[in-house]
Amino acid sequence: MSNNTVNLAHGAGGKQTSELIEKVFKAHFDSPEFTADDAAVLPAVDGKLAMTTDGFIVSPWEFNGGNIGKLSICGTVNDLSCMGAKPLYMTCAFVIEEGFPLDKLEEIAAAMEKTAAEVGVKIVAGDTKVAGKGQCDGVFITTTGVGRIMEKAHTSGSLAKPGDAVIVTGDVGRHGCTILLARGEYGIESDVDTDCAPLWHTVESMYEVTDDIHVIRDATRGGVGTVLYEIAGQSNIGIRIKREDIPVDERVKGVCGMLGLEPLYLACEGRLVIFAPADKAEALVAKLREGKYSANAAIIGTVTAENAGKVVMETEIGTQTLLPQPKGELLPRIC
Amino acid sequence: MNESIRKAREIITGYSGRPLRIMEVCGTHTHEIFRIGLRKLLPESVELISGPGCPVCVTAVGFIDEACWLALEKGCVVCTFGDLIRVPGTEMSLAGARSEGAEVRPVYSPLDAVELAKADPDRQYVFLAVGFETTTPSACLAAEQAKAAGLKNFSLLTANKTMPNAYNALVGSADAFLYPGHVNAITGNAACKKLCEEKGVSGVVAGFTASELITAMAVTINLLQKDEPFFRNCYTRVVKDEGNPQAIALMNRVMEPCDSEWRGLGNIPMSGMKLRAEYADYDARLKFNMPEIKGRPNPACRCGDVLQGKCKPSDCKVFGKVCTPLHPVGACMVSDEGACAAYYQYSE
Repeated sequence: MSNNTVNLAHGAGGKQTSELIEKVFKAHFDSPEFTADDAAVLPAVDGKLAMTTDGFIVSPWEFNGGNIGKLSICGTVNDLSCMGAKPLYMTCAFVIEEGFPLDKLEEIAAAMEKTAAEVGVKIVAGDTKVAGKGQCDGVFITTTGVGRIMEKAHTSGSLAKPGDAVIVTGDVGRHGCTILLARGEYGIESDVDTDCAPLWHTVESMYEVTDDIHVIRDATRGGVGTVLYEIAGQSNIGIRIKREDIPVDERVKGVCGMLGLEPLYLACEGRLVIFAPADKAEALVAKLREGKYSANAAIIGTVTAENAGKVVMETEIGTQTLLPQPKGELLPRIC
Repeated sequence: MNESIRKAREIITGYSGRPLRIMEVCGTHTHEIFRIGLRKLLPESVELISGPGCPVCVTAVGFIDEACWLALEKGCVVCTFGDLIRVPGTEMSLAGARSEGAEVRPVYSPLDAVELAKADPDRQYVFLAVGFETTTPSACLAAEQAKAAGLKNFSLLTANKTMPNAYNALVGSADAFLYPGHVNAITGNAACKKLCEEKGVSGVVAGFTASELITAMAVTINLLQKDEPFFRNCYTRVVKDEGNPQAIALMNRVMEPCDSEWRGLGNIPMSGMKLRAEYADYDARLKFNMPEIKGRPNPACRCGDVLQGKCKPSDCKVFGKVCTPLHPVGACMVSDEGACAAYYQYSE
């Protein structure tokens, strides 16, 4: 069995470490820039750069529609994309639990390669550590990414303005719901799958419609609801959304109904929240609906000058209530 | 907005008769009513009172003290629904006990606690069995499974409650009840019908979607104008007159009625469930020779009055000041289904 699983020697820096890197990582991440030296050497880039890093410890590491490898690329690609930056290079650091199956590690690396290739980002350096049994859970991955910011892009969470439309690029809460069910603690069966997706091309397509996009943010931990409160605070504006306009997958609705969860607070890993002038909103949504990962994009609300810092919901029965503030006690380890 | 919601809205907003008091008994209803903003449609003459239907909220202070005693004095691993962990006891909550070294494990189902006990035979596991007819069957199933497996390290600390006798205790506090759909799905409607026929208590079984809730409210307001007692099932999608016979049979095999202490309402005769004598080995109070433990609620907290509809959460002096969801003084601020937590989260 030991030949088929990761052991402590794989992390000791010797021959077995080299073998692991050759067989698993280099086999998948090979590119002229992938370094065998201490650091990758990259060509100079014109213009402003965006750089970000993110750690991934999702449990379980494999779930319907993806795994931690895909997630670790999407997370960083999407953070760069939200700044209007085309993802160029990434590095990844693995912490692998002793005993983790090598073939599963290959599956994870393959998912990373496939996802990175889809948006044209290159993995140029990596690191592998092996933790003793029980010191971590399966595999943890940290990715860091660099991207070049498009000159026409000027987005920030502080730029939402009264009159802006609020757009989501797809149905909300599917990733959180998928992980929740994958943990098997509720005894609920459903084929709901993650929304996890790399969104650079989604962002790029919006700039074909207009450069006038004020805020782009990916709704990860805490979901769309948390993003709305963040933007309401950062931009010092109010947000009014309409319950009936928020796209929610029927399966997610069912699970949320049973467990008393608010889909707006379930994590997404492939959804953006966009604030743009109202007169551009219809065209943006039309463009988004042509995209692979944003077919059910929708306008869910508007920005108001009043109720600064608050998110007001127009309910199914036509009343207005406050969307309760995010509580921070989220489901453990969703990303 | 569909036609039936529009119609229900008209009935509710158009009401101009005598003052009405309607009590939603169920904690999930309390939360959903706030979420959809139903209170905002009510004319001034209609008052909606949040009743004692959140299982965490009605759990007596003494029960938390008993759980802390088992965890700290007897070294038991206490398994519980997560909400209970932060409910204040006389001296401390289970979270407080945990910081003093007690092991407290949140579980989603009593059956998870049975599995934990099986996997760790050297330690004693106790499941805190709270809740109404909706959750009691799963606690009974856990006891049955533990007995069948001959487990020596698993027991239940019971504070299970049943609704019918609580309604009796609440007679007169409202003109009509919105009955908890989930409970009636198990128990059926006989007890509610009997209350209507024998004591003239009116009520409507309500579901949980926006459309179901607003419809139940409109039906209640409509029927109250006729001045004769009524019972209606507005949740026929799920609630059948006979309830769920398998779940009822399971409960009756494992448990039997007993008196029960409700936070705020005091002792209500025969409103609780305890393990039958055949399951004495699985009753934590007997197994660990527990002394009688009497809880003392924080005198500043008015959860008891809130649960009986005698005051609104905002009438309590500590509400929103020292008592918040992060630092609850009373049980009603802990659970999402508690009236105080709902008032707090949705207050503008």
